[in-house]
Amino acid sequence: MKRLKARFPDARIPYGTWGSSYFPAWQSSPLAEVNIGQFAGEAMNRVLGLRKVPKNRLDYLITGSTIPWHWKFWNSPLAASCMGQRLPGFHVEQACATGLEAVALAAAEVQGGSSETVGVLTFDRTSDSPVGVFPERRSYRRTEALSDVWDNFGFDPATGKAMIAAAGAAARKHKLDRGEVDDASLHCHQRYFETLDSGFLKRLLVPFDLLNSQGRPLGRIDSDVGVSRPTREGLRQLRELDTCVTSGTQTHAADGMACLLVATREAARTLSPKPEIDIKLIAKAETRTRPSLMPEAPSLAVKKLLGRTGLGMKDMAVVKSHNPFAVNDVIFSKELGYDWRRMNKTGSSLVWGHPQGPTLTRLLIEGLEEAVGLGGGHVLLMGCAAGDVGIAAVFEVGGKS
Amino acid sequence: MTASMRAGTLETLDLGTVFDVFRKGRLPANAPELVDQVFGKEGERGCLVVSGANGIVGAGKTMQLASRLEPFGVPVVALDFAGAPDGLGRQHPGLVRTFGRERASRIMENTVRLSYDGKRLPAQLKGLRPRFLLEAIPEILEAKRAHYEVFRQAFPGIEIRSVTSGFPSSKLGVGIAHPAFPHEVNKVWEVVEEEPSAVTQLLWALGLTPIPVSDHWSFVLDVLFCGTTLAALRIHQASNMPYWKIDKHVRSLLGPNPLRAHDVIGAKGADFLTWSCLHHLSREYGALFEPTPDLEERKDTGQEWYPPKHLRPLVDWPPQESELSEFRTRLLGPLFQMTALLLHERRSHLSHINSIGELCAQFRRGVLSMIRGLGRETALEIVRDYHRLHPQAKGAGGWHPGAFGDMDSPSWRQLYVNAEHDGKVGIVSIGRERYNGDVDAELNRAIDWLQGAKIERVIVSGDFHLSGQMVGADIADFFPALESAEEGLRLSTAWSRTARRLNDDFRVSVGFVGGKRCLGGSLELLMHCHYLVARSEAELGMPEVTLPVVPGMEGCHWPFRKASPDQWPRLLDLLLTGSPVRAGAATGWLVDYAGPLEDALAAAWQIATEGRRGLARRKLRAGGLKGMRLTDGGGHGPGGPAVLAARKAILDCVRESCAKPLPEALLVQARLCADFMGSDLCRKGGIGAERAKATA
Repeated sequence: MKRLKARFPDARIPYGTWGSSYFPAWQSSPLAEVNIGQFAGEAMNRVLGLRKVPKNRLDYLITGSTIPWHWKFWNSPLAASCMGQRLPGFHVEQACATGLEAVALAAAEVQGGSSETVGVLTFDRTSDSPVGVFPERRSYRRTEALSDVWDNFGFDPATGKAMIAAAGAAARKHKLDRGEVDDASLHCHQRYFETLDSGFLKRLLVPFDLLNSQGRPLGRIDSDVGVSRPTREGLRQLRELDTCVTSGTQTHAADGMACLLVATREAARTLSPKPEIDIKLIAKAETRTRPSLMPEAPSLAVKKLLGRTGLGMKDMAVVKSHNPFAVNDVIFSKELGYDWRRMNKTGSSLVWGHPQGPTLTRLLIEGLEEAVGLGGGHVLLMGCAAGDVGIAAVFEVGGKS
Repeated sequence: MTASMRAGTLETLDLGTVFDVFRKGRLPANAPELVDQVFGKEGERGCLVVSGANGIVGAGKTMQLASRLEPFGVPVVALDFAGAPDGLGRQHPGLVRTFGRERASRIMENTVRLSYDGKRLPAQLKGLRPRFLLEAIPEILEAKRAHYEVFRQAFPGIEIRSVTSGFPSSKLGVGIAHPAFPHEVNKVWEVVEEEPSAVTQLLWALGLTPIPVSDHWSFVLDVLFCGTTLAALRIHQASNMPYWKIDKHVRSLLGPNPLRAHDVIGAKGADFLTWSCLHHLSREYGALFEPTPDLEERKDTGQEWYPPKHLRPLVDWPPQESELSEFRTRLLGPLFQMTALLLHERRSHLSHINSIGELCAQFRRGVLSMIRGLGRETALEIVRDYHRLHPQAKGAGGWHPGAFGDMDSPSWRQLYVNAEHDGKVGIVSIGRERYNGDVDAELNRAIDWLQGAKIERVIVSGDFHLSGQMVGADIADFFPALESAEEGLRLSTAWSRTARRLNDDFRVSVGFVGGKRCLGGSLELLMHCHYLVARSEAELGMPEVTLPVVPGMEGCHWPFRKASPDQWPRLLDLLLTGSPVRAGAATGWLVDYAGPLEDALAAAWQIATEGRRGLARRKLRAGGLKGMRLTDGGGHGPGGPAVLAARKAILDCVRESCAKPLPEALLVQARLCADFMGSDLCRKGGIGAERAKATA
């Protein structure tokens, strides 16, 4: 493994202190019924308890979510209170880039010496995305109700197009083959189910019982409800919604949370059950591609990242992508010369859904855990985000992992 | 010359023994004489002053004492700052509920509210002749001392007691009368004084429960309760488990919800008191008692432990086995270590240490009973495991494993039941209001002890101290029977066999009801005695049908065997309505003698010593009862499906067990009782609801 100077050399992600909820599809679980910020705070408290991390070890909390929720005004401090610890913090959001941005900002917080142990808590509830009413003076309609998720998916104000149109446009630009896109989707699904059967996900994902306001059981969140188990033939038969885009090659909306810690090197050693494992963020890159070509943005971000670090794809032990469209991975394969069969070996957001804020956080957790299982190495994480943005980062998993 | 299994708890109040009560035929102290002694004779009566009377403690105790002193014409002065929130007014609805509007008005009329500025006493006070000051001002040592000085200068010779929960008497310079929450109804007062005083004996004579404890930083109750709270907070620190969830598991393991209790009492005041106790204890005994940072924070902010209503908990999870095991260690470990400290310092009679947890801190079983049940080695192992998790707790002289060394002594073995005899007559006194497995075992040992001394005559009674009444079985002991009919059968059979010993093992046995009531299993127990003697006003009842449950200690056939057939409908009414009857109205068919307390005491003694007092022993018919054509008849009041089903089950049980000869009837009743306890009706009824509350 090439040794590189990390962007935040003093910041570490303590191994084994992370966790995520399962991501049930929107409107399919009790998670659709609750305040997601409160849920996320209480759930992180449980995750940390399970990982034997007293929550009073945290001195800062960075939250990331993208969909309005009740009491969002209070953001991090409220989520921290729901966790049971009165922490300061701030909130970050940039669509699906949120999870990775939050980690990078936490690392900066540690590197800058402001905090010793920073919690990263990302969450979103796409179910019933709240309706906002905006009486804008310049609007010709005096009041407008906004269904946050669906209205924005359907309309990028900068381009005037729907997000799904970006997938079709990118597929046409890169001359993708529908069959290969179907196969790339099938690959992700098969790897997910293999991983699920192996018990790997149980090390990362935490089940939660939800209570209603009377304290009675509302239900249990203990699976990625809504994940389908496609076949090649089944995928082939699906109606094309746009070029190479079918319901089987795009993700679905989901609800959930994911969290991890970023700490100083010394603090990380005391927090982790395996202090010998050393995890750091090496570098991060972002790009914005041409209008309505979002699925190619991650490839461009990775190229920029590799150019900056001097790393090549051969240096990557694990490659994980946030791929709301299977088109993303096939474009990446073409652009980087890297077989999509070598990516997403534990599944990806194409399979288990797309709650936005926590999507890249869960992918990162899965990637780091996979790398530890391989004995260490570099983890490449990438994804697209609304606004034709691509984000990528490389992490180093070192020590005796 | 009498012998006793162990020292009685009345002796700690200098009130003699239970044996003395029966031998002399009167109680050892009476309220009118003691009121004269403490407040002066009629015409010269002084008053009681409660300072800080609008606080939680002050208001509760003002009302509790005012309601008891009003008949004696002792005015109660409620003293507080002019701007203090009205704590006394909030007590009024409770007074009305308990005493009715007219009596509540009289009590309030007898309560004089005065304001002061903390330095000068109001001029009107002098005219009321203060004789006794109960100080309930905030826990600030210097402020308390200054307060006493102001009173002593104005009223030399005034009796002063502090309600402090933490400061020793030696630091305050006054005696302690530390009451337990909820203050308007809880009768227990921990008292610290060199010798039992007239004030303390007056509390007892007024029907309260003073318990002498030694003069240390914090008393028994607060070591146990604040200690349990601290253990809960340490669990939170170690596991992140939310406070509400910790409370559920503490309730499941011990009984109380310590953190909820703080919120209910009033978080700001209660948190400060708990912090204050722990802070001082930690300075004396080290890290075992050191307050946690969240308690430090809350004593200043007063923030509640439970989240506000709009953030009611959302996330729950079933803890893993390893988490539960660590939880148990972190809870019981410090509690047992603290208990060892209480024992090492001989802070009170063992029965007191044990009962304080039950009477004041909602422990389902007293802490000594719990430790005894686990056994010495297991208890020590739990503390050792705790020290592995919290090594600092072991140091600073706060761990006394030797305190569990004499668990075979009578003081340990007879926490609830004592026995005394003079070579001819034995007295068995039960110091727990609810009958449970511990009481059953101790009662058997007491009977064995009396038999070993060849005692053939016995009186079975409450202890005139810790059990003012006898209210039947402790339903916590029924929980296993909800799931297993075999367990129900075992319990019912074992307890019935114990009860039968009162009939079989003595030539003369007298059950004595000296308190307000005797219900359910307690009544079934005492009805096995050859004679049942009671205060006329005592309520006797079989409320099992309302739970619902079928009586399990032979209440469905034993009293029928002793009553004439024309009285059977009355017994059936008792069983099927659950409504109690006054002892005076039950003479001849349930009770053998009823009268005023002192007459009843004398009657019991005469029956025990002379065999009878013009009273024929009601014959117990051992064969199957003939001619029993009892029906429900529908005249036993309304009831939901559960009550109706229980009535039918009880009626069936009466018919079947009465039809059998005595030797077989025990098992018939036990089987029917066990079957009903295993039914859905019982699981969904009162016992099931209690079990649900006690289960995390």
